Amino acid sequence: MGALGHFLEREGIPTVGISLVREHTETVRPPRALWVTFELGRPFGIPDDAAFQRRVMQGALDLFERTDGPLIADYPEHVAEEADFTGWACPINLAPGAGDTLAAEIDRLAAWYDRAIAAQGRTTVGVSGLDMPAAGKLVAAALQDSLPPAQPLKQAIDDLKAYYLEAASAFPDPGSSRTRKAWLWDETILARSLIALQPKLAASADAQHKILGNLTMIPATERHRLG
Amino acid sequence: MVKRLSDMPEVEAKHLARIECPTYDDTPLLAGKPLGQRRVALISTAGLHRRGDRPFQPGDGSYRVIPAETPAGDLVMSHISVNFDRTGFQQDLNVAFPIDRLRELAADGVVGSMASVHYAFMGAFPPEAAAPHAKHLAGLLKSDKVDAALLVPV
Repeated sequence: MGALGHFLEREGIPTVGISLVREHTETVRPPRALWVTFELGRPFGIPDDAAFQRRVMQGALDLFERTDGPLIADYPEHVAEEADFTGWACPINLAPGAGDTLAAEIDRLAAWYDRAIAAQGRTTVGVSGLDMPAAGKLVAAALQDSLPPAQPLKQAIDDLKAYYLEAASAFPDPGSSRTRKAWLWDETILARSLIALQPKLAASADAQHKILGNLTMIPATERHRLG
Repeated sequence: MVKRLSDMPEVEAKHLARIECPTYDDTPLLAGKPLGQRRVALISTAGLHRRGDRPFQPGDGSYRVIPAETPAGDLVMSHISVNFDRTGFQQDLNVAFPIDRLRELAADGVVGSMASVHYAFMGAFPPEAAAPHAKHLAGLLKSDKVDAALLVPV
């Protein structure tokens, strides 16, 4: 991110960047940065809080008048940790039973996904171009047969994760985003499938398969689940 | 609260500490007009693009084009990293790509105007892969009279 500040400013476009990782910004030294302490993935802090987001944006834009950089300004507001939902249990009985399949799990979530779209008015699913049963089939086939190319597999997996998390946001008691992510990795056949798929990808001779297996499928925080 | 790497969960901090950052001998800094006269563009590195555009791939330093009028429901994210939260973006585009906030600030006169086109890279790019695209992008921004780029990571 900081590199873009150098590139664009050098070409005549003044820049201000949001910084999420202060140490990175201190190394790259872009022209102007507003450091925020928000969760990675949320550079404007709080979803659906327009006033908060606007204050962050104003704080960043105000730095344009400064030419005493490279500078890093500290944004004064922080976002409280999400409430502790320890003990939250998925309110929908989706627990996989014996002989249950990824396809059946995807199907069970469809009604909740539809409710999420109705509530949000949008979905972020749709990178792969596949419908979710087809995305599930690709993952199942990767486990059982030979591996498909990494890029379409990655896109199908990312779409499935978005589908699951969007569906869970429409559960009667949706918990927090943290508990829903924990649910995905703790309790779903999708997560079990991805954990099972990882060694096969990592052992592939294909470099893109290795990237997917080792870096871009299972978050660093979930890799303790690997054998 | 100060959230430096040392304050973060160990796994997350280790991952972030491993990311190689480029260094530069000097930093260019341009003076400009007051904010109320500037034309502002959003440049995201969240790997955002319209559904149906080419998804990002590992090592991809190119950008995607996001016209200002693009409906929120048309935008998807194909950032290759799995080490950041996506549920905020799923709930509200603006927490990652604050196009509505920028539109409001332009309407209120806080900024002069909003660019007609915005852009997104995928932040895991090697700098040398993005440099030629950024140079090209600067020309596009100038042709849209943009004189302020707000860079938004993820």
